[in-house]
Amino acid sequence: MMKLLSVLFKKEVLDASRDKRSVMAGLYYAIGTPILMCLLFSVMLKQLASPEDLKITIKNAEQAPNLVQYLESKEIVHGTGDDVKDIVLEVSDDFAVKMSEGRPATVTVIADKSNEKLRNSISRLERSLARYNSEVASLRLLARGVDPTLMRAVDVQVHDQATPDSKGGMFLGIATLSIVLTLFYAAMNLAIDTSAGERERNSIALLLSHPISTLQIVLAKSGAIATFSMLGLALILVVSKFAYGMVPWEQLGFSVNLSIEFMLFCFVIGLPIALMSASLQVFVSFMAKSFKEAQTYVTMVLFVPMGLSMVTTYDIATDVVQWLPIAAQQYAMIEFIKGNDIPVAQLALSTLVTLGLFGVFSYLSSRMLKSEKVVFGL
Amino acid sequence: MMSRSNMTKTGLFKLAALPLMMGLSSSAIAEQDNKVKPELTPCYAKGLDDRLLCGSIKQPVSDNPADGEIDIHFTIIPAIKPSKPDEAVLGFAGGPGQSATELAAIFDRNLRFARESRDILLVDQRGTGKSNKLQCEGVDLISQFELNDLTEDMDTFAKEETLKCKDDLNTDLTHYSTVAAAKDFDAVREALGYKGLHLYGVSYGTRIAQEYTRQFPGSVITSTLDGVVPMQQSLTAIGKAIDDSMNALFDRCEADANCSKNYPNLKENFYKLLEQLDEQAIETTVRHPRTHKKINLVLTKMKVFSTVRMALYSHTTRALVPVAISEALNGDYSPIVGLLSSTDMMDSMAMGMHSAVVCSEDWPSLTDASRSDHGESYLGRMMIEGFDIACPIWDAKPVDKSFYEPVKTDIPTLLLSGGLDPATPASWAEMAMVEMSNAKHLIAESATHGVVSQTCAASIVGKFIDSNGTEELDATCLEKDNRKQFFMNLNGVALQADNDSESNEKE
Repeated sequence: MMKLLSVLFKKEVLDASRDKRSVMAGLYYAIGTPILMCLLFSVMLKQLASPEDLKITIKNAEQAPNLVQYLESKEIVHGTGDDVKDIVLEVSDDFAVKMSEGRPATVTVIADKSNEKLRNSISRLERSLARYNSEVASLRLLARGVDPTLMRAVDVQVHDQATPDSKGGMFLGIATLSIVLTLFYAAMNLAIDTSAGERERNSIALLLSHPISTLQIVLAKSGAIATFSMLGLALILVVSKFAYGMVPWEQLGFSVNLSIEFMLFCFVIGLPIALMSASLQVFVSFMAKSFKEAQTYVTMVLFVPMGLSMVTTYDIATDVVQWLPIAAQQYAMIEFIKGNDIPVAQLALSTLVTLGLFGVFSYLSSRMLKSEKVVFGL
Repeated sequence: MMSRSNMTKTGLFKLAALPLMMGLSSSAIAEQDNKVKPELTPCYAKGLDDRLLCGSIKQPVSDNPADGEIDIHFTIIPAIKPSKPDEAVLGFAGGPGQSATELAAIFDRNLRFARESRDILLVDQRGTGKSNKLQCEGVDLISQFELNDLTEDMDTFAKEETLKCKDDLNTDLTHYSTVAAAKDFDAVREALGYKGLHLYGVSYGTRIAQEYTRQFPGSVITSTLDGVVPMQQSLTAIGKAIDDSMNALFDRCEADANCSKNYPNLKENFYKLLEQLDEQAIETTVRHPRTHKKINLVLTKMKVFSTVRMALYSHTTRALVPVAISEALNGDYSPIVGLLSSTDMMDSMAMGMHSAVVCSEDWPSLTDASRSDHGESYLGRMMIEGFDIACPIWDAKPVDKSFYEPVKTDIPTLLLSGGLDPATPASWAEMAMVEMSNAKHLIAESATHGVVSQTCAASIVGKFIDSNGTEELDATCLEKDNRKQFFMNLNGVALQADNDSESNEKE
């Protein structure tokens, strides 16, 4: 029985590897996604970050030379030319008078706060102005013989529980999303080809005419597909490790570091998902009447794991969802990178459910292959 | 003896004694005897959100096992992306007497570029912070304000205060010198498994960094010295730097149209004020800077000079000096009171450890020639007088003569000086680097004490460390003038409009 299964498995792997286009399509995803995302992140980080030398337009600067000088020390300067940000700081005409009278002197920040590219620069300007405010206020009190710390009634100290590894939360979510989805997309073409495709080429009927059970056929096919999924997983992990290492995260104060331990961890918890993914896609492909229909159905069905993965990525999963397959595994991956405790109960249960689903889909596919309607796509 | 009087005395003594307080400090000592990696627990530092790691190792107090052990505490600020796990940046605090771990927020900011790839290691130098802090009872502000240091018998007060402190601490200060402390740092390095360190010392921290380099050259990859104290130099030589920095302030006001118009003859007026006070201290009533209660203030030459001197450390307080002097001459002492109260930061200084260093390293080396030279400035003279009283009581063993030799090394060393530094002038850095074959000295003309905190030097230091000192450094950004404008009245730098109806608010 096992021998037969392994012969069948080898045959399926050989078959699949001959279909170079399907294999390559899957591997392109595994290699391309992390690289593409890292390029996107790099560009995005650069756009969202406030430039080291922030150039803005300062109007009426002669009224407030001290303020202008202060901003300059914070690398915020009046500039002209192309790289000037669309932020205007307007000093009121009576700034100097108000200042010397000890009344609030008005400055106006004119900018579009809905512009994502400006947001960091605007808040940097606002922070600098607030600091100038408190510096001048402190000196005014000091000059009157009052200790400026009186203004600080409460000394707020923050103890941030985050580590440099955990601060990249959102980016970690997206990174693990791409890793989990590899298990589905790397094998998608193969799954359809080896089931619906073989049916259209009538080779499935030939296979069924041999003295082997339909379950063995389905298991061998799923196994072969899962093998390629795992290959895709290995690839995306290796590529991700290097690609994410190139993004200058540390400038944002955190790091995204995929350790060897993490890669092994992903590999282990990925195997049940790969099997389930393969059996699911085979099952859906057999349900469809034609190759084209199979492509449509599989794509639609894959929205389910993608959805589960997304809610984890954007951290909107409820306590219930966190126990579901895919979501739980991805959550465990994120916690692993962050260096937190792995949710063992959720992970164990969801792995069992994943393997259960693999069994159910395989059984259903094997039942279907006993029906002539399915075998001949009628 | 009334406690208020002797407390006040100490307060003034401390004001004069604190040569280099804006810097940072460090700690630790003794031969490595435990190879077990110390246990690290998550911890936090004031003003810093990030989760840090803290721990301690045990170090023998001296070569004599009977002296027991001391816990040397340290804090690790973890690298953002630990691409150089074998290396760390070791920060040394100033004072002497400041705690490096308490200044973690400042070190984190100054070393933010280096932290992207390396841990920052802060060690409380023995006698400071959590490493057996040698601290004596402080002075409260009220007693400090009302002490008349002209009439009271200052010598007696100082003696009694020092004796009391010595009794309280009951420690042999000889074990708390720079030479002894250097060993602690290397023991911490070894315990934590760092192969090499980048040193970053500020102020007095540069002295311990140089001593560490001398004792453990194999552990040092690069060394950055910010506000350099040369091994050859006694801290009592600080008087000239104070005078120079103060004169630069007066000259700038003179050259500035608004300032010279608003505060004519500022320098002459300052010395006129001091002269008046020298003859007759001013006794007045002022408001307590925090409680607003009426308290007595006896304004003496020593207090005014020390206050102005402390204001010279930061551009923010320098901006107030002209208005403070001119108001004081007009009989309004509020600005002086404000500045005086802001100098009351001695709590963080471990005065016992401060004395251990000064009395074994700076005081014994004084000669008749250097005494008269350093005594040319008023504060230098006061400082030497204070040490002459306190050091014989502390009775710390003078350090070996070889301590005063300049450090000879080819380790890449970056020296930073501020042109307006009232503590460690640029000439001191030149003196420190005479035997350094791979040293570079950068001067930020408009900076005061501690160049990295005030200028773009943080990124220069980042590049220096990243390239292991090999890269050509672009120091043009240090030329940027970061001085602040002087306050023209109690409200700010703007001159009052001549015809403004409210412009007479100010008396």
